[in-house]
Amino acid sequence: MEAGAVSVRRGFVEWFKDKWQNDPLFSIFIALIIMVILQTLTLGFDFNSFGEWFQTWVNNWINILRNNAGVAIVALGMTFVIMTGGIDLSVGATLVATGAFAMTLIDIGERGLFAMIGITGVPAIIFTMLLTMAFGYLLGSLIGVTVTKGLVPPFIATLGAMMVFRSVTQHFMQGYNPRVPTEFLQIASLKIGNVMIMPIIYWLLIAAIMYYVSKRTTFGRQIIAVGSNEKGARLSGINVDKVKLRVYALMGLLVSIAAIIQVSRVGSMDFAGAGRGLEMDAIAAAVVGGTSMMGGRGFILGTVYGVLIIAVLNNLLNLFGVPPLLRDAFKGLIVIAAVLLQRKKII
Amino acid sequence: MQVEMLNVNKSFGSNKVLEDVSITVNGGEIYALLGENGAGKSTLMNILGGVLPLDRGEICINGESVSFEKPADSQSSGIAFIHQELNLINDLPVYENMFIGREPKKRFGQLDHKKMIKETEDLFKRMDIDLDPKALVGDLDASYKQIVEICRAMSTNASIIIMDEPTTSLTDTEINRVFGMMNTLREQGVGLIFISHKLKEVKRICDRYAVLRDGGLVSEGYVEDVTINDIARFMVGYDVRTEPLIRERPLGEEVLRIENLTYEQQFKDINFSIKAGEVVGFTGLLGDGRSELFQSIFGSKGVSSGAIYVNDKKVSTNSTMDAIKNGIAYLPRNRKENAIISDMDILENSAIATWPQYSKFGIINKDIHKQQFEKQRDKLNIKMDKWTDNITKLSGGNQQKVVLSKWLNTGPKILILDNPTQGVDVGAKEDIYDIILDLADQKIAVVVLSSEAQEIIRVCDRTMVMYHGTVQGELKGKEMTDHNIMTLATGGELELEGEGKPLWKQEQ
Repeated sequence: MEAGAVSVRRGFVEWFKDKWQNDPLFSIFIALIIMVILQTLTLGFDFNSFGEWFQTWVNNWINILRNNAGVAIVALGMTFVIMTGGIDLSVGATLVATGAFAMTLIDIGERGLFAMIGITGVPAIIFTMLLTMAFGYLLGSLIGVTVTKGLVPPFIATLGAMMVFRSVTQHFMQGYNPRVPTEFLQIASLKIGNVMIMPIIYWLLIAAIMYYVSKRTTFGRQIIAVGSNEKGARLSGINVDKVKLRVYALMGLLVSIAAIIQVSRVGSMDFAGAGRGLEMDAIAAAVVGGTSMMGGRGFILGTVYGVLIIAVLNNLLNLFGVPPLLRDAFKGLIVIAAVLLQRKKII
Repeated sequence: MQVEMLNVNKSFGSNKVLEDVSITVNGGEIYALLGENGAGKSTLMNILGGVLPLDRGEICINGESVSFEKPADSQSSGIAFIHQELNLINDLPVYENMFIGREPKKRFGQLDHKKMIKETEDLFKRMDIDLDPKALVGDLDASYKQIVEICRAMSTNASIIIMDEPTTSLTDTEINRVFGMMNTLREQGVGLIFISHKLKEVKRICDRYAVLRDGGLVSEGYVEDVTINDIARFMVGYDVRTEPLIRERPLGEEVLRIENLTYEQQFKDINFSIKAGEVVGFTGLLGDGRSELFQSIFGSKGVSSGAIYVNDKKVSTNSTMDAIKNGIAYLPRNRKENAIISDMDILENSAIATWPQYSKFGIINKDIHKQQFEKQRDKLNIKMDKWTDNITKLSGGNQQKVVLSKWLNTGPKILILDNPTQGVDVGAKEDIYDIILDLADQKIAVVVLSSEAQEIIRVCDRTMVMYHGTVQGELKGKEMTDHNIMTLATGGELELEGEGKPLWKQEQ
C-alpha cells in the first residue's frame, strides 16, 4: 500500500518533470493556474457563503474576459505574424482606421454613408460588418504586399503604416462625431441570460478556428515552415510570399473584428488614443505564450494563456491596490520571466 | 610538441560515446581522425579543445598531465580548434579577423590597425600566402576563409591544430591550396589533426590515422600501410564497394530539354536533353553555375532567356510550385539551410511539398501522408524511432532520405539531386546511390549535381562538365575519368577519340 503510494507519487513527479521539460505550454499553463489560485484567494474564498462568493468570482471573470477580448483577438493574429518571422506594429492604427470606417458607414447622422443611400436597420449593420472586415483585410494586404513584393522589413513597413493609418484617420475624422445606432451596439452588448457575453464568444470562436488552422491546415503548417526556414520552405514548393501576404491580411481582418467589437461596446472611439500600445500588448501575450520572435515556433493556445496571464495579473494588481502607474512594470517583468522560463526548452 | 589522450571515457547520460580511447599526436605530422558520423570523433576533439570535460582518462602534453576546464585552457596549452562552421566575421577585413578577441590597442584604447596589418602581412609572407590582409572576409572564397582560420590559429602560436572536416565545402583547386598550407605547417613542426570523410584526401596528405567506431578505437597506424578500402572497412565494420554502379537499362522518351537557357551572370546558353530513366551528372568547380542553373529550372531563381521543355512542351517555371506541377523535383545542397524545417517532425518534413495536393478546403490529409511516408520509409530504409520525432533527431543520412522521400511523394518525372551525399556517412551514401539507380530503373530522369568526380563516375551514365556558367563538355561511359573531368572543369579542352562510347546502346 505504502510502496504503491510512493510509486504513484514518483510517477507523478516523473510525469511532471517530463512535461515541464518537453511541453513548452506546460509551464505557461502552470503559471496561469497559480495566478488564478492567487486571484481566487484574494477574492476572499469563503466556504460558508459559497454561492455569493461564486457569483462574485464568475462576474469578475466575465469582466476580465470581456475587457480583454479585443486584445486577445489581435494577439491571435499577431501570433501568426510572429511565427512567419515578422511583426506588425500597425495594429493599433489599423484598429482606429477600421473603427472609423465602420462608424462612417453606420452613422445615422447626416454624413452617414448608408443612411445617405437609404440602407438602414439590419442590412446596414451586416453590410457595415462585412465591409469593415474587407477593409481590414485590404489594409493588412497592403502591408503584406509592401513586405513581400517591396521587400521592406516588416518592422519598417508596419511602423510606417502605423503612422499613416492613424494620421489619415485623425485628419478625416476631425470634428466629425458619427452617431452609432443602438441596434449596432447589440453586436457586443447583446445579453444572454442577463450577461454581456458576446465579445467572449467571438474571441473563443476565433481562437478555436485559429487553433484548428495552425494545427491542421496547409496554410497553418506553411506558416511554421516559412518562419522556421524560409529558403527551405521556398525550395519545398511553398509560395512564401502568398503565405506572408495572407498572414498580414488575416491580421488586418482580425483587427477590424476587434474594432467592430470596440465600437459596438461603447458606440464611439477616440481616434487619437484608441489602440495605443495594442501592438505591444498583443506581442507580449504571444511571447508569454511561448511564441518565438525568431519565427517558426508558436502556439495559438499559448497566446490564449498569455492573454489570460496578463489579464489576471492586471486584475490581481488592481485587487492588491498597486498604484496604476506601477502596473506596467509588473507586466514587463512577467513578459521577461515567461521567456526566462521557456528559454531552456529552445534547443 | 606531443599530445597524448589516454584511456578517455565519456558518456552523455546512459549513452557511452567514448570508451578507453587513446591517441598520440606529434608535432610535424598530419594525423587523420576517422570514423562515421556518431563514432565519437567530435566528442574526442571537443574534449581536447576544452569544450567538454572528460569522465575518465588523461590528457598529457609533452608527458605532463594537464586538465582543460574551458576552451581557453586548451588554447593556452597551444591547441587550436578550427570548427567546421568557421568562426569568421564576414563584415570585417581579414586582419581584424586574425586578431579578434586579442586586438592590439594603442594608448587610449583605439585599435592598432597598422600593427594588425603588419603582423598579418608578415605571417602571410612566412606561410607563402598571396592574400590581401585588408580584403573583406565575406568576399573570400571558402578555401581562403579556411586559410585565414588556420593563420589565426598560427598567430596564437598553436603547436597542435585540430581541423574538423576542412575540405567539405571546397572544390579541388581550393583543397590543393589548403593542403599546400598544411604541408608548410607540417614542415614547421606543427601537428595537425585532420578530421575527414574523404579517404582519398587522407591517403594523400596524412602520415598516421586513427579510426573510431561506436566510441572505441578500432585501428591506428601509418597511412602508407593501408589502402582506402581497408580504412573504409575499419570505419563501417564491413567491406565497402567502390566499383562503378552504372548498369544497362532501356531509356525512354526525352523528358527534359533545355534550350539556350541564360540567367544574368550565373550561366549562359545552356543546351541539353535528358531521357526518362537516364542518370546524368553535372559537375565542375565552385562557381561553375550548376546549382544556379538547376535552381532556375526548378523555378526558384529566374531565367533571362531561353526555354525549358518538359515532355516536349514548353513550360514556364516562374515558381517552385510550377516546377513541381511539371514533374520537376529538386533536392537542394546544404540540407540544413535549404531543406530541413527544424521546427517540424519527420512526417511533416516528408509531406510538406504534397500538402496542397492532398488537402481538401486547405485541410491537411494526415492519413494519406502517413501511408505514403510508411511506404517511403521501407523503400528508402530510413532508420528512425517515431514519425513524431523532430527531424533533427535523425542522422545526416536519414535526414537526407526524408528529404528525398518528400520529393518522391510528388511523383517526379525529373529528379534533380544537388550534392545528395553531402554530410552523409559511408553506409548511407551507398544506400543513396542504390536509390538513384532504382529510380532510374523506374523511368525517372535523375540529374546528379556533385563536385566529387568519383560520385559522378560511379552512378551517372554520362556527365556534363561546367565551367564558369557554361557546359565545357560532355563525357560518356568510359570517358568519365577523374582526369577528363578535371581538365574540362578547369576550362581545358579535350580531344576525345572519336565519339564517346556509351557503356550500352540506347533503345531505339
